[in-house]
Amino acid sequence: MSLTQTRFDLPPGEMPTHWYNILSDLPFELPPDLPPQGGTHSADSLKVQVPLELIRQSTSKKTEIPIPDEVRAIYGQWRPTVLQRATRLEAALDTPARIYFKYEGNNTSGSHKLNTAIAQAYYYKRAGVKRLTTGTGAGQWGTALATACHAFGMDCKVYMVGVSYRQKPYRKVIMQMYGAQVVASPSADTQIGAELLASNSEQGGNLAFAITEALEDALSREDTRFCIGSGESYSILHQTIIGLEARRQMALAGEYPDIVIGSLGAGSNFGGIAFPFLRDRLRGESQVRCISVEPSACPKLTRGAYRYDYTDSSGVTPLQKMYTLGQAFTTPDIHAGGLRYHASSKLISALRHHGYVEAAAYQQRQIFASGVLFSQTEGIVPAPESAHAVHGAIEEALKAREAGTSPVILFCLSGHGYFDMAAYDAYMAGQLEADAVITDEQIAESLRRLPNVPNS
Amino acid sequence: MMLQEYLNAPLSRSEIATIVKNILISEAHINIRPEAISEDEALHSELLRITSLSFLGIILSLEEALDISMEDELFMKTQFRTVGDLVNFIDQLYRSR
Repeated sequence: MSLTQTRFDLPPGEMPTHWYNILSDLPFELPPDLPPQGGTHSADSLKVQVPLELIRQSTSKKTEIPIPDEVRAIYGQWRPTVLQRATRLEAALDTPARIYFKYEGNNTSGSHKLNTAIAQAYYYKRAGVKRLTTGTGAGQWGTALATACHAFGMDCKVYMVGVSYRQKPYRKVIMQMYGAQVVASPSADTQIGAELLASNSEQGGNLAFAITEALEDALSREDTRFCIGSGESYSILHQTIIGLEARRQMALAGEYPDIVIGSLGAGSNFGGIAFPFLRDRLRGESQVRCISVEPSACPKLTRGAYRYDYTDSSGVTPLQKMYTLGQAFTTPDIHAGGLRYHASSKLISALRHHGYVEAAAYQQRQIFASGVLFSQTEGIVPAPESAHAVHGAIEEALKAREAGTSPVILFCLSGHGYFDMAAYDAYMAGQLEADAVITDEQIAESLRRLPNVPNS
Repeated sequence: MMLQEYLNAPLSRSEIATIVKNILISEAHINIRPEAISEDEALHSELLRITSLSFLGIILSLEEALDISMEDELFMKTQFRTVGDLVNFIDQLYRSR
């Protein structure tokens, strides 16, 4: 019996040496960031939190940005990651579509986030920073940054949303294994956290508050900087290694995707897999469709507005033009915590606005059904966030079956779900509640509170 | 002074201050003349509203305008409170090219 090849591996020596910078191929200018309206800093002086080198990467027009040798050396512990054809999933769906996925969960952090955490920690280290703080929700970003800080001999403190800290104790353990100090937010370690705890009000915390605590910590120590996370343009740049590898692996398979799919939080894994293919479309060399998949409980690209908004709830960040539900929008509790951000990054948003990116939104139960089917057929339990991409691929494969077409579908399986078994348990027990219905009025009400920017 | 000599002459501190202020005006999206900004003006004042993130964009613009390059290690160590702090930092960097 001959075996169909389903794995497509790149030898270590063929790991990309550069990230791909899509800014060099955009046929339009990104709308400029604007100063915040009315918000002022209480600090006496500006303390720069981000190394200039990362900002240079966010504005450069060079097509290729070199990956430092020190970063590549650490990438080599788990990269190049595998590209697989999901033949058993295809058979289960009885679809003529050919489905491929790029798996990014095979590292300690369990997700793609380590790709940028390693790069960011490297640049902070080079800038003389000894200690990083950050906020994390479900813990994927915190785990990635803890791992990266350890790799470069830096201290790390993670403010983890209190409810996740208690619900996902093993995330905390991994971060601690890598030497990070992890506290539940709100915490008594910061003034703002202590005040909230003393007021005995909201104790579960949220990501915006954890970030605020991490920033207060960083501002209070000279050796420390705050590392914001994975939604910045430079983060998406670092993630393009996913799509760059996938291009070469698809060529090994003798294929080129008709459709590329990724789940959407702020946009880093979606951009990571899609941009190196979108490059061909921007250059008129392909008609590849790039589809982002988001939860219907947080439908920023499908139902949000392309407007100027703040990137967090502090009201003192620069305004960025992006698809947003408004920073006042409260996303209902869903298990894909990494996709609850109220907006999409300005880069993904602009591509959507100009018609280069499609968007779809699905309900939580649909997502988990697809997650279970993927586990059964392909042997990897997807993170709830990643299961959005799985579901998007399944939807496209089913459409192909109905239409009698056989597209090549590629999606990013951005992480594994082995820390999310409580969510799968709830789904299997039939206890997963249906998503709250987001009404047009709810979105409109939130959007009414957006900053008023004339002529935008 | 011959024309070529004049063109090659290094910028004065006052000329650098004007360049810095013009870039601050552009970043703050305000419509005033550079000489209307005092060097004692705080960068995060109601007038300029510079944040630590937008400040980075300003630094990159200054690098391009003056053909200078900043090392992160020096830059992240420095505290910037007023327009004058920034002008002094850029002036020093410009002269040590």
